[in-house]
Amino acid sequence: MQRRDFVKNMGLASALLAANPLKSLALVPEPGAEIFVVLFLRGGMDGLHLVAPASDRAYTDARSADLRVSEKNALLLKNPLNGLDFYLHESAKPFKELYDSNRLALIHACGLTNGTRSHFDAMDLIERGIQQKQNIAQGWLARYLVTSQLAGQALPALGMGDGLPLSLLGSPSAISLVSAQDFALKGDPRMAGILKSWYNQDDLLDRTAQQTLKTAQLIQSKLPRHANGTVKDYQPSASYPSEWYVRGLREQLTNLARLIKMNLGVHVATVDFGGWDTHEAQAYHFPQQMMGLAKTVAAFYNDLTSYHPRLTILIMSEFGRRLKANRSGGTDHGFGNVVLAIGQKVKGGAMYGQWRGLATEQLDNGVDLAVTTDYRTVLSEIITKRLNNQQIGTIFPGFKMPAAPLGFMA
Amino acid sequence: MSPETDLLQRISYGPTPASRQRLGQIGLAAFVEEQLNPTNQDEICDQRLATFLLSIEYEHKGRKVKESRKLTLLDAPLAQLWALNQEDKPYQEKVRPAEEVAAATCLRAFHSQWQLRELMAEFWHNHFNISVNADQRIALTLPIYDREVIRKHLFGNFRQLLEGVAKSQAMLYYLDNVHSKASPANENYARELFELHTMGAKNYYNHLYNRWREVPGALTGAPIGYIDEDVYEASRAFTGWTVADGTYNEKGSNLPNTGQFLYFDAWHDNYQKRVLGVELAPNQPAMSDGLKVLDLVAYHPATAQHICHKICQRLVADNPPASLLAKAMATWTAQQQSPDQIKQVVRTILLSPEFAQSAGQKIKRPLDLVVSYLRALQADPTPNQLFFYFLGRMGQQPFQWPTPTGHPDTASHWLNTNMLLARWNVVQVLLLEDWHQLIKVDLRAQMPASLTTCRGMTDFWIDRFFGRPVAEAIRQRAMNYLAAGGSEEEPPVGGPEEIKYRLAQLVALLAMSPEYQYR
Repeated sequence: MQRRDFVKNMGLASALLAANPLKSLALVPEPGAEIFVVLFLRGGMDGLHLVAPASDRAYTDARSADLRVSEKNALLLKNPLNGLDFYLHESAKPFKELYDSNRLALIHACGLTNGTRSHFDAMDLIERGIQQKQNIAQGWLARYLVTSQLAGQALPALGMGDGLPLSLLGSPSAISLVSAQDFALKGDPRMAGILKSWYNQDDLLDRTAQQTLKTAQLIQSKLPRHANGTVKDYQPSASYPSEWYVRGLREQLTNLARLIKMNLGVHVATVDFGGWDTHEAQAYHFPQQMMGLAKTVAAFYNDLTSYHPRLTILIMSEFGRRLKANRSGGTDHGFGNVVLAIGQKVKGGAMYGQWRGLATEQLDNGVDLAVTTDYRTVLSEIITKRLNNQQIGTIFPGFKMPAAPLGFMA
Repeated sequence: MSPETDLLQRISYGPTPASRQRLGQIGLAAFVEEQLNPTNQDEICDQRLATFLLSIEYEHKGRKVKESRKLTLLDAPLAQLWALNQEDKPYQEKVRPAEEVAAATCLRAFHSQWQLRELMAEFWHNHFNISVNADQRIALTLPIYDREVIRKHLFGNFRQLLEGVAKSQAMLYYLDNVHSKASPANENYARELFELHTMGAKNYYNHLYNRWREVPGALTGAPIGYIDEDVYEASRAFTGWTVADGTYNEKGSNLPNTGQFLYFDAWHDNYQKRVLGVELAPNQPAMSDGLKVLDLVAYHPATAQHICHKICQRLVADNPPASLLAKAMATWTAQQQSPDQIKQVVRTILLSPEFAQSAGQKIKRPLDLVVSYLRALQADPTPNQLFFYFLGRMGQQPFQWPTPTGHPDTASHWLNTNMLLARWNVVQVLLLEDWHQLIKVDLRAQMPASLTTCRGMTDFWIDRFFGRPVAEAIRQRAMNYLAAGGSEEEPPVGGPEEIKYRLAQLVALLAMSPEYQYR
């Protein structure tokens, strides 16, 4: 039958995966020790609107005041790059508080060194963990998981949202999930057993089905319930913002926090927040988005106080935006960008990276913030130092870590 | 094996007793030909579109509205739709045109006898994706986009379709060209024009070349692909392509406010440009720069490759055979001036041996899964807001995919734990949670009265879904479930309500099987 031919091809890939000899070489992290959350800002977040040297003439001349950070109301950062007066946009105040308490580090001028300005190319490359188009089907987080010896966590990898992000594609253990409470099979209770017997082959569909059934059963058995059997509502220990424009992010992060607290061994998780492609009306959209992001992430961090020694959050985007604004009140696709790292083990309250400057001759191609730190340098530092996996050459094929780390992770 | 049902899984939203009979009578070639030439005759579908009631509910300025309304905006002229674009109009009225198009899309997928047309409408909507959430003016002009752009050209000429899209309100707002003026221009539309609408990311060479003359072939006006310089220049070419929406024109007055496409010359960057190695002279007549860019990208060989690959990927397999792609591209290129270029490409694909040999390789998209299920049940659906929500749970809320890529068209996108769970749950909800009233169906009435045994009933529904036998393990478990401990050769045991429930659950279960996820 046709389907089963198709199946065989898919099965091969997973067989190769299982036979990966690197698996046995990997170091063993302490069971359930670290929790690593990757929050991806889809659309190209304008890092020059978030963190910038506010009095640089090349900066102030390129954009109107409502498209930049200004000395007037923005937040001055300690430990800046090159001794410049770097400010944080005032909408990101909760991030400033984390920065001041040394829990947030800013790595600027980061990104892909490939020259693409295409969202979908850039996201594709970053999430596959590569530098140039290659025939690599797995995402970097999937390769991280395969090369790590996990201690039998029930839910080692979560993609919060409708589907899996590319970074987790090809991972045999990744679960995509929107709501912990709703992750249940409806209908006659006998359905689960029947489906289990039907989806019995080693292909993507059948493996996904088996995982779905197993995970639904697990989560439903562990959710706190009232005496009458109904699931208790989640009671966060911090107050998440209620604005409509952060609903999606809030749902992902509250559900993630809830699953972390259920102690099912959540080890890596991905979260997506879109809406950063501000080709126009950026003066309206950016502060709103940024305020929503900062408040929600701060709430998530504060919701997980007892997990702080184990928790690292990384916030990144596919690229930054053009220094010079366009004529419709927006900015077009750019290049270098700021990355945010949050956690108790982050050496926060400081900026990292190299700042080349914003004068035309200092820009990439004369228009965009030059990338001076490969995005993989940032990820590698977290992977090697916090997650205790040294297989960087496998996780990021063709990439070699620089001899000196950036130093933002303890 | 029934070749008819396997074919109908792919050239329609699933077989029905009627379509199986028709295909069996006239054969594939004639059936495809019939489907490639839809007429205005579509009696049952037209009747459903004319009588369907979609609810609308809101409170606005102290006035409560809660009613069921007919789909009156599908054929509405622009002026009527544009009249909704006023601040004091309730939000629900502004998005109503888009909800009507979404409902009509589901009704047509289910009822229309022109199934291939509906598949291609979905294909082009996905290719030229817009999201109604990006701007309310996209929602309120969606009937125009659907009717006068996508449906008008879906079997037509690609260059004309592309121009229709470029001038559509929906795309002008979605990709921001509406406010693009010199200088610097807004690059959003121009970039996606190259990357998504025509030549494809595969032919983007910015990581290899910084200057246009470095791209192989550029010096003879035939570059193999494009780079950012082409995007910059093309974005200049489209400055001034906007919508007459009453915006301040920065020249002391406002644009007219009719909602129509408008070329506003004062915003246009009129100096010389170079796109794909071809020089556009300065100070050209109105729209000439943009139209020239559309010619250059529409007729570029990379576009033939990119679009034909996508059509083959939709109709055949995630990785379609190279031999088929070559045939489709040959037709595409030979017919690129023909008014029915796309129809000819689709015919080439559907009548190819590669197509005949590739059944069962594509995962059904959620709309496909649900509609094929309901067509097999002959269940009259009520595609309302709740129905759209359920499609969204499976990953395909109509006209709401946020990014201009459209939905990815590979199995790895659709097969993850969340979406698979939603697929299983939605097929059950539609049939078992009948208080939602999303479908009307009487399962018992569809089976011949003489059919009473568990075995007979199970085989009846297997035939409806698959048109051929399925793996014995599937059949046996399904039959056992219906029998619930009784004999397979006897009618189901239990009271009437219990039997009704188990029969519905059996039918849903077949749609939850591995085989049914593919087409």
